[in-house]
Amino acid sequence: MNSAIQPSADWEIGSLKLSMEVVCSMAVNSLRQRIGRAVLTLLTITTATAFMMYLLTMPRSTDPVDIQSWRLMMILSLVVSGAGVLNTMLMSVTQRYREIGTMKCLGALDSFILYSVLLEAAILGLVGAFAGAVAGLIISILLALADHGGEVFQAMEIANLPGKLVFVFLVGMALTTLGALFPAFIASKMPPMDAMRGEK
Amino acid sequence: MDDTVEYTVMTRDVVKVYRMGDTEVRALDGVDVTIRTGEYISIMGPSGSGKTTLFNAIGGLMKPTSGNVFIDEIDVAQLDANELAWLRCRKIGYIFQSYNIVKVMTALENVTLPMLFGGVPPDEAQDRAVEILTRVGLGDRILHTPKELSGGQQQRVAIARAFANQPAIILADEPTANLDIHTGEEIIELMKEMNRERGVTVICSTHDHKMLDISDRIVWMRDGKVQKIANRADVDIEINTMKEKH
Ligand SMILES: Nc1ncnc2c1ncn2[C@@H]1O[C@H](COP(=O)(O)OP(=O)(O)OP(=O)(O)O)[C@@H](O)[C@H]1O
Ligand SMILES: [Mg+2]
Repeated sequence: MNSAIQPSADWEIGSLKLSMEVVCSMAVNSLRQRIGRAVLTLLTITTATAFMMYLLTMPRSTDPVDIQSWRLMMILSLVVSGAGVLNTMLMSVTQRYREIGTMKCLGALDSFILYSVLLEAAILGLVGAFAGAVAGLIISILLALADHGGEVFQAMEIANLPGKLVFVFLVGMALTTLGALFPAFIASKMPPMDAMRGEK
Repeated sequence: MDDTVEYTVMTRDVVKVYRMGDTEVRALDGVDVTIRTGEYISIMGPSGSGKTTLFNAIGGLMKPTSGNVFIDEIDVAQLDANELAWLRCRKIGYIFQSYNIVKVMTALENVTLPMLFGGVPPDEAQDRAVEILTRVGLGDRILHTPKELSGGQQQRVAIARAFANQPAIILADEPTANLDIHTGEEIIELMKEMNRERGVTVICSTHDHKMLDISDRIVWMRDGKVQKIANRADVDIEINTMKEKH
């Protein structure tokens, strides 16, 4: 019984190796443990990405004035949904500073903190941005169907559709991971006690 | 090394200043302590005297404003991030005053964490965690999350977690503050046992005079300074006078 509690023999300062296996299991566990939060975050990412996809593919009038306002809409939507995703990720990581600090106290490597938070964000980004790109396209088709009946595809902006899908997916994914990267990097470099108090 | 006493922790003129706006708090104001390998040290002092801050400095959990902390004659300030992580992971076991157990994780997952960071294979880490949790009397609570545990039970998770990587030094910040007398004594006994049998150095802060009985030396702190250091043998009289006062 006592064998579990005995000091190891060598006291030389050693070094720790990063185990990608542990990073992965920790990221997946963390999502599972906070599934409610994860679903909300996903919703934000999906909605933002879907909105972008819809704007890129919705039927457009050829009136130059309309095109002008469409451009403006597109830019605004990018800013609004981009900021939304960034903010969501920022908040969800900053809320965990205490937990990150605790893990650092227990010997988590800086790289472990960084990678596990990033991987978690990347999983959310992958699922959310994919679902969003597809959902945006479907919404676009449905709305065009309602307005234009059988001539949906003539009405819609389907030129280079795969390119648009990939573009929107990548933007959604990038925003998600970038939003997590910044606070995760800061937290991973902080002395544990500062992180635990959530200090910048 | 052989003809001198071996020291494991040494602090030299450690100062920690917290700045809040215009006011400064000198949480540590020039602390010099030297702790021998295998020693059981109790740190006493009124609330706010700097005990927790000293622990954080010794454990490499924060940077002192000035001064040095040596662990096994290595200046902690000279360590790189990876070596610091190793120190926190393998060399030192922390029991925090406020437990600091991860809220979303079960007792088992919490105790497994430092072992996973230390490179213990997950299966082995799990087995060991179960064993230690059983040892601290939580064998039937391993899958509970902190919110399903009482304060004393959370304290015991924190204690099990501190023992997980078989550290050479245990830093225990009021480990029995939230335990009933019986469990508290069990925990102290456990630490004493590790200290006696395995030579683990125990540094323990406490308000509990009963704890003094088992310490080798007692350090009194006040206002961020070491007020005095006494050997166990010299303390009996003082304990009695203290008892009279209370
Ligand atoms: N993060 C902080 N910011 C500002 N002041 C701090 C901070 N942490 C501690 N202090 C101050 O430093 C002093 C020492 O605090 P510390 O927590 O080390 O005391 P302590 O001896 O552990 O007390 P207790 O017995 O109540 O746990 C206190 O005056 C406290 O207000
Ligand atoms: Mg304290």
